[in-house]
Amino acid sequence: MAELEEEVGVLVQRVVKDINSAFKKNPNIDEIGLIPCPEARYNRSPIVLVENKLGVESWCIKFLLPYVHNKLLLFRQRKQWFDRDALIDITCTLLLLNPDFTTAWNVRKELIQFGALSPEKDLYLGKLALTKFPKSPETWIHRRWVLKRLLQEHCPHSSLAKDQNRDVTTAQSAKYQEILHDELKVCTDAAGRYPSNYNAWSHRIWVLQNMAEEDSKIIYDELCSSKYWVSMHISDHSGFHYRQFLFKSLIRRSNFILDKTVSAPSLPTDHCASLPKEESSSEIQTWSLQGLFDEELDLCNDLIESYPGHEALWCHRRLVFFLWHHWSSDHHSCGTPGKTSLNGTDGSLGLSHTTTMVNKASQVMDVDCLIDPSLQSYSQETKRLKRGPQPDSHKLLAEHRFVSKILSDCGNMDQVRFATSYKKWLDSVIGQL
Amino acid sequence: MGTQIKDVVMKADAPSTLLLDKHADYIAAYGSKKDDYEYTLSEYLRMSGIYWGLTVMDLMGQLSRMSKDEIIEFIKSCQHDCGGISASIGHDPHLLYTLSAVQILSLYDSLSVIDTDKVVEYVKSLQQEDGSFAGDKWGEIDTRFSFCAAATLALLGKLDAINIDKAVEFVLSCMNFDGGFGCRPGSESHAGQIYCCTGFLSITNQLHHVNADLLGWWLCERQLPSGGLNGRPEKLPDVCYSWWVLASLKIIKRIHWIDKNKLRSFILACQDEETGGFADRPGDMVDPFHTLFGIAGLSLLGDEHIKPVNPVFCMPEEVLQRMNVHPEILN
Repeated sequence: MAELEEEVGVLVQRVVKDINSAFKKNPNIDEIGLIPCPEARYNRSPIVLVENKLGVESWCIKFLLPYVHNKLLLFRQRKQWFDRDALIDITCTLLLLNPDFTTAWNVRKELIQFGALSPEKDLYLGKLALTKFPKSPETWIHRRWVLKRLLQEHCPHSSLAKDQNRDVTTAQSAKYQEILHDELKVCTDAAGRYPSNYNAWSHRIWVLQNMAEEDSKIIYDELCSSKYWVSMHISDHSGFHYRQFLFKSLIRRSNFILDKTVSAPSLPTDHCASLPKEESSSEIQTWSLQGLFDEELDLCNDLIESYPGHEALWCHRRLVFFLWHHWSSDHHSCGTPGKTSLNGTDGSLGLSHTTTMVNKASQVMDVDCLIDPSLQSYSQETKRLKRGPQPDSHKLLAEHRFVSKILSDCGNMDQVRFATSYKKWLDSVIGQL
Repeated sequence: MGTQIKDVVMKADAPSTLLLDKHADYIAAYGSKKDDYEYTLSEYLRMSGIYWGLTVMDLMGQLSRMSKDEIIEFIKSCQHDCGGISASIGHDPHLLYTLSAVQILSLYDSLSVIDTDKVVEYVKSLQQEDGSFAGDKWGEIDTRFSFCAAATLALLGKLDAINIDKAVEFVLSCMNFDGGFGCRPGSESHAGQIYCCTGFLSITNQLHHVNADLLGWWLCERQLPSGGLNGRPEKLPDVCYSWWVLASLKIIKRIHWIDKNKLRSFILACQDEETGGFADRPGDMVDPFHTLFGIAGLSLLGDEHIKPVNPVFCMPEEVLQRMNVHPEILN
């Protein structure tokens, strides 16, 4: 038994060393993976490096993982001591196999604090772990910690380091842009590897909120590039939510510069036509929020008609129309921009207490009106809801026309269900505002 | 083009009766496979795993089959000097596992075995200026942690240790136009986060801030033709989301908006007739996590063979009655 343990120890130490050498040999490894291989067939290392891909033969995992796992816990309990390099290697192997092992990331945070490990190295390790585990919550959490630290070090002008000197050198600024763009790339890769990847998209939102809050150019670029992405991932609700987030950012911005935008003409609607042509923030005058909303509703029309029966598309339409409706009534009614906060403490956009849609005594809520109306009890409720002030708007009529068109020439049951539900939503939620 | 809707097909021969004895045997045997590779892989969340196992055993009236003394010793050895509790021995403390440990000790009526004053101090120390909570000393912010903080303190009878107004303000800043909540301000609505946020508002008696009709609408749109519930649009149905959506609907008193019979059939179909336990979807591998949420979901749907479950704490109602903890349910 003791002999076997010793053998495993030797094997594992060799594998950990092989992984370390692979990274030294090729600093551009961009993906990790498991090679299905139930038994060791050759007398060779289970670590395989082909071009920029690092593979681990599966037979060794059952020895490797428990060994490095136990070593780290012994260290954490102060029962065994390792030098810094050994700790870096052990946690690296451990996290590539099990990236949700929080404590291993914490050990690396401490190594970064001691100056024994560079934060960039950890962003790289996390990036690799995400190629195999694109959702891993702990990997994303660790990235946010590392990014905060990096920004404090390199980019004192970011919102994460507000207390520091705001004078930044060009080099710092370039470094900042590099970190930001690398991070957005990591998010895009992870979003492509797993559909509706909540952690990847909420991380991307965090990155914009914390690293690009005053940079209109980035918001526009994001709006532009994500348009193509969502068109290729029509079921990805998280991708659409991200566009909604970008729209809300622009609306907040527009409230500051309303005078300049309210009279701006709508531009032609080619790809991202309403986005500014120049990087300078003074160009902000040229974009038109109205134009962006029109483009977005066109995008919704196009995708809904091209790909019938996708809930994510209809959900997106709801929010785009809701945001437009809110923005437009804010805009035209009293001329006081920002009257209703889109980012206030009450993120409900003033919706609270405005709708009472359903009879509490009713049974199943028929969101898509498929239940026979004579059998359900809330038709009266619907009538009551419809009594609310209908905004006299051609846009709302256009939405109803769109729904009628879909319903009249569509044989797809799901599409009919979503269209009917959208119509009801227009009547009860928008109709009540 | 094939069918677009993402859902599962319910097979005619799927289990349709509740196999309580099998589930109890499955959970009782689970902890004995400690050398298992999978067991190592999940050690980073062990404390929550024990909470799932014990709670489902208690709901089935089988808590006595678990090794109480061993578990209590284990929890004691997971409390750190800062007061926080870790997932297992040698791991770092975190709010997630602090709540799980406090829930387990509540089931056993044994809170006094740990230093509860220190737990309160730990939770308090994690509240930020904006009212949010960090999960641990490294500072990650998430509405899940707001729930963990409030639930832990409520079970310890020390809710007043934190700034509730600020905590509520932060959670409300994560509310979206669809009535739901995300992990941070601006993040997408997600059934798991909605459960945490409605649970938090229930514990702090602030449910009047929720737009129950709008949120209820979003939640009941999670039900798919198979009867199962998903956690976001165009995701597959999953037993654990069935719990989070259902519990949220219960808290805001809109549970009658979904088709209960179809959901019950879906949950029952996720049982493994041979091994016991529930999977995320029919035919998949079972685990203790989905087994708890399957059983808890059936309890909320009114199954008489299971003890009534509290929708906010996911613990037997009788335990909360005994502790005199009464989270708000909307009228």
